[in-house]
Amino acid sequence: MERVPMRSPGAAAGAPVPLLAAPLVALRGATVGYGRHRLLSDVELAVAPGDFLAIVGPNGGGKTTVLRTLLGALPLLAGRRELPRPLRVGYVPQRDLVDPIWPLTAGEVVAMGRTPALGPWRRPGAADRAAVGEALARVGIAELAARFYGELSGGQRQRTLIARALCAEPELLAVDEPTNGMDPSAELATMDVLRDLHAGGRGLAIVMVSHRLDAVANYARALAFVDKDRALFRVGPLAEMLTPAALSALYGRAVVVREEGGRRFVHPDAGGARP
Amino acid sequence: MNGADGLAGLAGFLGAREIWQAPLVASLLAGALLGFLGIYVVLRRTVFVSAALTQISTVGLVFGLFLEERLHVEAEHVEHQLGMAVGFAVVGAVVLGALRPRRLPAEAAVGAAWVAASALVVLGVSRLVHAAHDLGGMVFGNAVAVPDQELWIIGGVALLVLAIHLAFAKELIFASFDPETARALGLPVARWDALLYLTIGLAIPVTARALGALPVFAFLTLPAAAALLLRVRLRVAFLLAAAFGVVAAGGGYLASWFGETPTGATMVVAAALFLLPGAAARWVRG
Repeated sequence: MERVPMRSPGAAAGAPVPLLAAPLVALRGATVGYGRHRLLSDVELAVAPGDFLAIVGPNGGGKTTVLRTLLGALPLLAGRRELPRPLRVGYVPQRDLVDPIWPLTAGEVVAMGRTPALGPWRRPGAADRAAVGEALARVGIAELAARFYGELSGGQRQRTLIARALCAEPELLAVDEPTNGMDPSAELATMDVLRDLHAGGRGLAIVMVSHRLDAVANYARALAFVDKDRALFRVGPLAEMLTPAALSALYGRAVVVREEGGRRFVHPDAGGARP
Repeated sequence: MNGADGLAGLAGFLGAREIWQAPLVASLLAGALLGFLGIYVVLRRTVFVSAALTQISTVGLVFGLFLEERLHVEAEHVEHQLGMAVGFAVVGAVVLGALRPRRLPAEAAVGAAWVAASALVVLGVSRLVHAAHDLGGMVFGNAVAVPDQELWIIGGVALLVLAIHLAFAKELIFASFDPETARALGLPVARWDALLYLTIGLAIPVTARALGALPVFAFLTLPAAAALLLRVRLRVAFLLAAAFGVVAAGGGYLASWFGETPTGATMVVAAALFLLPGAAARWVRG
């Protein structure tokens, strides 16, 4: 298994935070998995303020498991999770996991982001309502606050879920497959929202899971490759990871990385042979 | 029926207040309570969990009657029988609510629980001599004889459930709507789910003993479905479902009294009628 340096990979790639910023959260020598199923061992991963890390790899490769373990939503099977201080997390789940049958407005869904901070017994107050409005405005859907979540388009639902995560005023925004099932226009718009949030000057760290390398190549500052079938976990700055050699090793076939019009494109080599 | 007969029937009804008062109030409380909880049952797509729980709570009643009749264990009082039913239902609710089978769909486990519980009820009825008739009423619903003590128990449970749901609405809704995110944000989703199922597990047996299993299943499904068909906001849907439950229970009870029809089945039909406006509105909207 390839190991990671103890520094924050996103910070090394030029994120707007000092290089040696203390990590918000880190996995050290971690074994991740479900129950007794060990998926990956010796995982070393640190996320610092201002990082923009994309966890990529094939479907079913263990990406979401790594993310959930990093967030503490799944217990470690071995190793340790370092959390130097209480961390405010915003989480954006895979859109398909959120049932649109519930008659909740976009505003009501976003307000759920305040629930952990409020705790039981307390009801949302004026400050919470203001936070909901601000979060909706930050992702550009303030006018949709009173619309039912189930009546929104895929892109609008994704923005609603991002707004809910922002409503928790997070230091770390965790996003799971944000562009799944979207058309190219909605995909670009969603990724632009994440880029703008990251560049917003608040030191927000973003960790994103995606199997769409194309979608993250122009946004993330660091990449983590995950594939449980080959016991592969490798993380580093984008410049080191987004190379044909590294990607071909990840996907098991020749991969081309090209730049055109200021954007990076990643696709399999037409020949298909592994270099 | 002519006008004179109608007036005589009304006079007879008013004169028989002592007979219908407690069952009617119990029905109204049950309609409100089950209608409210039905929103969770329907939106969580666990309609058949409520059916299974209704049967499981009836197994608890059968067990209590069996202990009394065959083993001569003291279990004739309302609180003993309800205790059995509540125990069975709460354990069943927590187990079925926490089910995450890996090799089978959850529906298979729920279906197995329902069919096994139904079979146990039939077996129990076949072995009981004196209580078999009472049990038939409990399964299919009669709402005829509700002792005051049972009425107080239903009222107490309704108040307790209402208090829990008012105090923890945002947690119960978040954990039900998006458990993945709730868990990621540190909410103890399993505990909130257990609390929700505890309230459902309390409501089902105390109302099933008064109304019967069939009406309880119907009231956990139909008023909520009717409210949700109207495409109103969630908080309005909770209120509407409770109101539909009250009106269907009261209207069904009165219709069964004057029409001399089986009470439980009449209430179910009354509850089903509330589906019509929502279905019509959807049809008009295309």
